[in-house]
Amino acid sequence: MAMSIEEVEAAIIAKATKSPKPQLYIKDFYECDTERKPRDIKKIANALVTKGKMMFWSSGSTTMYALPERIKNEENAEGIN
Amino acid sequence: MAKHATPLLDELEKGPWPSFVTDMKRQAETHPECWDILGQLELSYKDKITHWKHGGIVGVFGYGGGIVGRYSDVPKKFPGVEHFHTVRIAQPSGLYYSTKNLRALMDLWDKYGSGMTNMHGSTGDMIFLGTRTENLEPLFWDLTHDLDQDLGGSGSNLRTPSCCLGESRCEWSCYDTQDVCYHLTMHYQDEIHRPAFPYKFKFKFSGCPNDCVAAIARSDFALLGTWKDDIRINQAAVKEYVAGNYPSNGGAHAGGDWGKFDIKKEVINLCPTGCMWMEGDELKIDNAECNRCMHCINVMPRALKPGKEKGATVCVGAKAPILDGAQFATMVIPFIEVSKENEYENLIDVIEQIWDWWMEVGKNRERVGETMQRVGLPTFLRVMEIDAMPQHVKEPRSNPYVFWKEEEVEGGWERDVQAFRRKHAA
Repeated sequence: MAMSIEEVEAAIIAKATKSPKPQLYIKDFYECDTERKPRDIKKIANALVTKGKMMFWSSGSTTMYALPERIKNEENAEGIN
Repeated sequence: MAKHATPLLDELEKGPWPSFVTDMKRQAETHPECWDILGQLELSYKDKITHWKHGGIVGVFGYGGGIVGRYSDVPKKFPGVEHFHTVRIAQPSGLYYSTKNLRALMDLWDKYGSGMTNMHGSTGDMIFLGTRTENLEPLFWDLTHDLDQDLGGSGSNLRTPSCCLGESRCEWSCYDTQDVCYHLTMHYQDEIHRPAFPYKFKFKFSGCPNDCVAAIARSDFALLGTWKDDIRINQAAVKEYVAGNYPSNGGAHAGGDWGKFDIKKEVINLCPTGCMWMEGDELKIDNAECNRCMHCINVMPRALKPGKEKGATVCVGAKAPILDGAQFATMVIPFIEVSKENEYENLIDVIEQIWDWWMEVGKNRERVGETMQRVGLPTFLRVMEIDAMPQHVKEPRSNPYVFWKEEEVEGGWERDVQAFRRKHAA
């Protein structure tokens, strides 16, 4: 039986929580529900960002996803001096 | 007065050419944070390493693109660039700005940022360089509410689509580039403002093969105007060019002494497929051999025009050199109709077929052109449900093997092994 959107959301959060890498590409979440098209997974992941459960991190050319508590935030990080 | 000594940067002010260092010093008179840019850049020249940290989480609510986080890794030395985020402003189609709009944009940026801009980024956006995190939301509010303008794309988003000025000024345009650009911009708002793909994806629309937005070199999906039928010839105008009564190239090179116009030397002998010749004083074209290089039309615009049956060629997979070097887009569909009446439904079908495949098969940070290169054009054409045709052949094959597919072989791969062994004992 197909997973509900809530189940996919939970799987994405679980993946982002357990993954050794704190920041993940959208493709890393495809395995959360292999029956859904990548575009649907993307929509669910982006909705999690709107809800504040995930965050985007961008280099400018690539975007990654992470939980707010695991994301790399340069704004508060120390500089080299 | 300069805040930091910048002897290395000062070298870049010498010589006859314009200097960004001079511009930044001038800007620093009203925006003191620009002194810290100069100071940090001088340090980078000395240390031979960037002093920008990599990326960030900044953005505006609801969007996942359009803002690129930039932070100094030496903020105590250069507090003016502790935050120095970049804001991408979506460009109007064909880059038609009114002076009123430009002034309003500059006033906005003077208010919220450093006042430094990059006109334009290679996607086409106007780039605002340098602001602090707390300024982002107010800037976005004013931009969208007062100027009716939007942020562009960044990150793994669809980047702001861009187009040439098309039918608004150019008689060669084979479709309404600005309308396609606007329609697809509105159609794909979600993909422009939020990440969607393994990596960036760019649309560019050129109205004719002159390709004034360099779509074939810079975009993942390039739509180049073309025509199916014959180049239209006005033989009377050809005679006027030959007689020297009409300036060649629309008078574009009239400043030099090029001598009398020579149609053989300047047009016929330069045709890349050799498909033109004169019969008496009449110009003839073997249109089946024409590869739409546009040279003859560019040289004699009053005598030659694109055909009447217009549409576009779809090329896929160009990119600038990041991983494996730069590559042009590959021609995938030689001719496609571009019709406002069906709201460009056939283009949308092609685009989404590419996306569905690339999102699944493309690796992280792999442009669609790199994915195509990895799997090979025959595989990509199968995905796109396009039969291979002579126009897809770039060069004679270099691999001596022919890899048949099962459906191309009579009887498929199934064999009666026992019958074979009766004739050929093991």
